[in-house]
Amino acid sequence: ASPRFQALLGGQMTAQAVRANLRQRYLRGLGAARGRPTRFYLRAGVQVDAVFGAADVDAVAFQVDALRTPLGVQAAALLRYTDVLAYTFLLE
Amino acid sequence: MNDWQRKSPLDWETYVNKMVKVAAIEKHEYEGWVLTVDPVSASIVLATFLENEEVSISVVLGHAVQEVEILKEGDDEMKQRLSCIFAPEESKAYSP
Repeated sequence: ASPRFQALLGGQMTAQAVRANLRQRYLRGLGAARGRPTRFYLRAGVQVDAVFGAADVDAVAFQVDALRTPLGVQAAALLRYTDVLAYTFLLE
Repeated sequence: MNDWQRKSPLDWETYVNKMVKVAAIEKHEYEGWVLTVDPVSASIVLATFLENEEVSISVVLGHAVQEVEILKEGDDEMKQRLSCIFAPEESKAYSP
């Protein structure tokens, strides 16, 4: 929220402003992940490596590139949110 | 939906800038400083500072989160450090 908006609220951040701030940070995080080698932790102990591409608005799937699978490297793939427990990547 | 996903943005905000331990399904555990919680998916974004100035980012998806325990509060320096991680280039603190 802008300083002006906060002044208007008398210093009280509304739930909506808090939500917007959390979401904005998350979206910047997605932006930072783009193009980075990422490890995805899936169900049943499966781990796969890929290059992070994008996530959709409704939290349904991640788009990745160069997904390494036991059958070879998939140039592009979608990973379902429900199959992914976590993912990690490095920022230098 | 689990308990974590049902929390409100005001609840999630209380975890921001704190060191937490996240217990996820299938006995996964993650530790790090909370950068944010996505209000859409309830996913927690954690940062861990490594040697050689690298930062490791872990995102635990909301549906997989079972419990989040606060281990440590962040001081002002840590808050500043965390807020810079995803900040766009032009808004980074100016240092000549």
